[in-house]
Amino acid sequence: MFKNYIKTAWRNLWKGRVFNGMNIVGLSVAIASSTLLLLTVFFESSYDGFHKNIDNIYQVYFTVSRQGAPQKTGSMPVPLAPTLKADYPDVKYITRVAGGPPATITYGDKQIQQEVSFVDPDYFNIFTFPIIKGSKTALSGLNDVVLTNASAKAIFGDADPIGKTIVVKYDDQPKSFIVSGITEDYPANSSLGSDLTVRFENSESYNQLLKVWDSRTHIVYVQLNANANPARFEQGLKPFVKKYLKQDLEDLKRDGAKPLADGERESLGIFPFKNNHFNTDMGAVYGSSISKTYVGALLVIAIFILIIACINFVNLSVARSFTRAREIGVRKTLGAGKWQLLTQFWTETVMICLIALVAGIGIAALVMPGFKAAFQSGIKLSMLLQPLQLFTIIGLFFFITIAAGFYPALLMLRYKTTQVLKGSVNTQKPGKVRNILLVVQFSLATILTICTLITWQQISYLQTKPLGYNKNEVISIPIGNSINGLQALQLFRNQMAGEPGVVGISGSYINLGRGKDGSSSNSVRGFNYKGHEIRTHEQTVDFDFMKTLDIKLAVGRDFSRDYVADSNNVVINEKMASLIGKGNVVGTYLPMRDNEPPMQIVGVFKNYNFQSLHEEVEPLTLTMKKDFPISYIFVRLKSNNLLNDFDRVKAKWHAAFPTIEFTGSWLTENTEKQYRAEKRLSTIFISAAIIAIIISCIGLLAISIMVIVQRTKEIGIRKVLGSSVSSIVILLSREFAKLVLIASIIAFPVAWWVMHKWLEGFAYRITIQWWIFALSALIALTIALLTISIQAVRAALANPVKSLKSE
Amino acid sequence: MLSLKNISKYYQAGGNKTYVLNNVSLDVDAGEFVSIMGPSGSGKSTLLNIIGMLDEPSEGYHYFMKEPVHQLKEKARSALYKQYIGFVFQAYHLIDELTVYENIETPLIYQDIKSSERKALVADMLDRFQIVGKKDLFPAQLSGGQQQLVGIARALITKPRLILADEPTGNLNSKQGEEIMELFRKLNKEDKVTIIQVTHSEKNAEYGSRIINVLDGKIDSSRNL
Repeated sequence: MFKNYIKTAWRNLWKGRVFNGMNIVGLSVAIASSTLLLLTVFFESSYDGFHKNIDNIYQVYFTVSRQGAPQKTGSMPVPLAPTLKADYPDVKYITRVAGGPPATITYGDKQIQQEVSFVDPDYFNIFTFPIIKGSKTALSGLNDVVLTNASAKAIFGDADPIGKTIVVKYDDQPKSFIVSGITEDYPANSSLGSDLTVRFENSESYNQLLKVWDSRTHIVYVQLNANANPARFEQGLKPFVKKYLKQDLEDLKRDGAKPLADGERESLGIFPFKNNHFNTDMGAVYGSSISKTYVGALLVIAIFILIIACINFVNLSVARSFTRAREIGVRKTLGAGKWQLLTQFWTETVMICLIALVAGIGIAALVMPGFKAAFQSGIKLSMLLQPLQLFTIIGLFFFITIAAGFYPALLMLRYKTTQVLKGSVNTQKPGKVRNILLVVQFSLATILTICTLITWQQISYLQTKPLGYNKNEVISIPIGNSINGLQALQLFRNQMAGEPGVVGISGSYINLGRGKDGSSSNSVRGFNYKGHEIRTHEQTVDFDFMKTLDIKLAVGRDFSRDYVADSNNVVINEKMASLIGKGNVVGTYLPMRDNEPPMQIVGVFKNYNFQSLHEEVEPLTLTMKKDFPISYIFVRLKSNNLLNDFDRVKAKWHAAFPTIEFTGSWLTENTEKQYRAEKRLSTIFISAAIIAIIISCIGLLAISIMVIVQRTKEIGIRKVLGSSVSSIVILLSREFAKLVLIASIIAFPVAWWVMHKWLEGFAYRITIQWWIFALSALIALTIALLTISIQAVRAALANPVKSLKSE
Repeated sequence: MLSLKNISKYYQAGGNKTYVLNNVSLDVDAGEFVSIMGPSGSGKSTLLNIIGMLDEPSEGYHYFMKEPVHQLKEKARSALYKQYIGFVFQAYHLIDELTVYENIETPLIYQDIKSSERKALVADMLDRFQIVGKKDLFPAQLSGGQQQLVGIARALITKPRLILADEPTGNLNSKQGEEIMELFRKLNKEDKVTIIQVTHSEKNAEYGSRIINVLDGKIDSSRNL
């Protein structure tokens, strides 16, 4: 019997190959795109899940109430971790983790750049990074280093690395370490990861900070005992804060900070590490955490596309069923039972779905390399074979076949046998269900269109908004840590001297935007001024910084080589000036550092967006004090050939530093990189909207064919009565136009709400304009009408004699 | 074999009932060959469909093989139908996607008969109708007469006790029609199959043992030949 079903199903599919082809194309495109999206969702949700103790691992964080909303940060003082372990028996393991810029590794005459992290020995007990070579207690010695397999290969090739000594330079002094262990390479879905792991005691200024509670430099992870209650543990941290952070609490109180929910102004909490990848509202978190909304958006889009494709499937099957009605009637007279017929149709549906599934996964595999590159996704097709994914696919498959296969089958079964056999397909009024499905489909497509238009608008706004500095003519070059930044800057200045078109050369500690080294950082300093705390971003710069970046001065002057005292002077932005006082603040002294003379303000410059446009301009202080090194060189060129200039600077760089790679980039690129997440989202929206519209149109085409078949007689009569072709086309299109407009009206508020929420994430944003909605409705309507009118015109041009004779 | 008592079929159009069949009573015994005649729209096809359980009467009592069909649930009715009734149509109604062989086999599939048994039964039937050479052709490749032959073979494959034929020769030329009618006569005489046919043709009606005239939803006359 089953063989028979498959045989007839196959012949039927072949007979209706145009319809079924449309069906399969729509469905497989939907399956391909939702496979990619769902795999991304799975991948993002799988972060860090491979740690055996994941449920007991937490990151320690502070919640601090200052002006405005309380802020969470994972940055911890050095003495916290040992004290916490000593005071709380629930802490099974604890580790501090600090990273830094890439370090230079020297082994023999080989030199490579690797990332180093500084951890406590418990690190490998807490996190499941299996040690495949060397000692299990690999970090027992202060000079031990653990490498990843890939890193060991890079340094030692095929030789056995255990016991070998390497030299690592990550601050002023190179240090020697003995390789004591090799771990497997970190999985792609790991938040933590570095090439080298050494003891925390080796980190920069460890000894100075040993007893310092108010300097926060690293992250702390704890693993609680399996039976510990995390909520109670968190509660128990209150006395800890009171005991060790007394000074902090008093300062906050004095500055008038609002108390937090638990009555204090600063509290310590623990955040489950299994949610680390989605932890976007905390400062100082490892790994590139992404917003849950982003993953949610992907999931919703995948579901949207699947729904649209399913609706298509239903509508196409229903359309097909009109031509199948007679067959069902005959089968009924031959004694077919309801379930036998349902099974037959279900077999056909399953076959279509299977073909679409195979084709869809094939398309997904083809598109995957491009997708991975565009969306920085770590997905693999083999991920589909994991139990959860496999289960989801099988589940979805059955859901789709049942949802999309049974409804049309049931509809066909309802036909009156006697009528069908007489040859009159029941031409009742178009079904409500069909109209509702169409409206849903077009609503979803319109929502995606609106989202596309608005994200696109916002992104182009971000890219064109003046930032207060010149981003078009400035090249920023990361120096790296193999030479002293200030010396490098001097050297490069000399090298560039006399080059035509150079407006200025300067340097700073923090880059603008995101350069090719991918690094971005923040340096905030708080100090007491006239009885209240002022917090300001601090940026170490060199001479000509404002000239090079074309930052406009408001009052006073820029740093100048003519003033010796400038090494202890500061230049601040207008926002900072407004915190210090009204009127002219130039000449004011700021006690920015304890135990050091106060620093004098010599100039105020106009605000510029030194962070991404997600943030408002915050207080900023520029200093010449070299607490922090110069890490980036800026070169501004006035010219008309950007490419040529870039190559010129590159050549000069290689002349000055033959051993250092040139990783410079225009600031325009750097600022654009800040909005990669938004660009990714908008690319996804655009692709999804296009796919949704195409699939919806396939469905609409099928329905219009169906409707026209149903109304052939009516069209024939109207033509005989003298109706023109155009009025018939209008007659046929009007109903669909109405449905598409209803769909748009449903889509408007939903899309508005979603995009309004999204835009709230930007300090600088566009306002949503009405014409976006009108435009998207127009797009949907135009595409829909184009689809329908092809069929409508054909029907209207057909010879009425033919259609009337058939009745 | 079957008995209709006061069967009516009507449609509600506005406030009025439009009767297709009005209070029809009819008894058919096993072994009869009944021809139903009447002008277009007289209700003869509806009568046949009700007998064949493809249509339900609005009122009345319907007994088939001593079972009260009007009281039976869909499933029981379908079982009864499957076991005893075979249909032959004017438009043949073969399934276009199936070959001759498969068309004849289909009713057996719906009766859950095993594959080996099906093979034997279909082979017998093909033999009997001398269409073995055409078993792998599709309906579109056959002439009208041949298609109707397949239609009858298909109706007979389940060994029904009653064959219902709705203008079986309506689409055929006279020679093909004659052959089909001869076949019916033979089935009735030799295999003792009860046949009820609807026809327009006086000549074809006379192959039967009784002619019933239907007019305006009522049995106008009935005569035995």
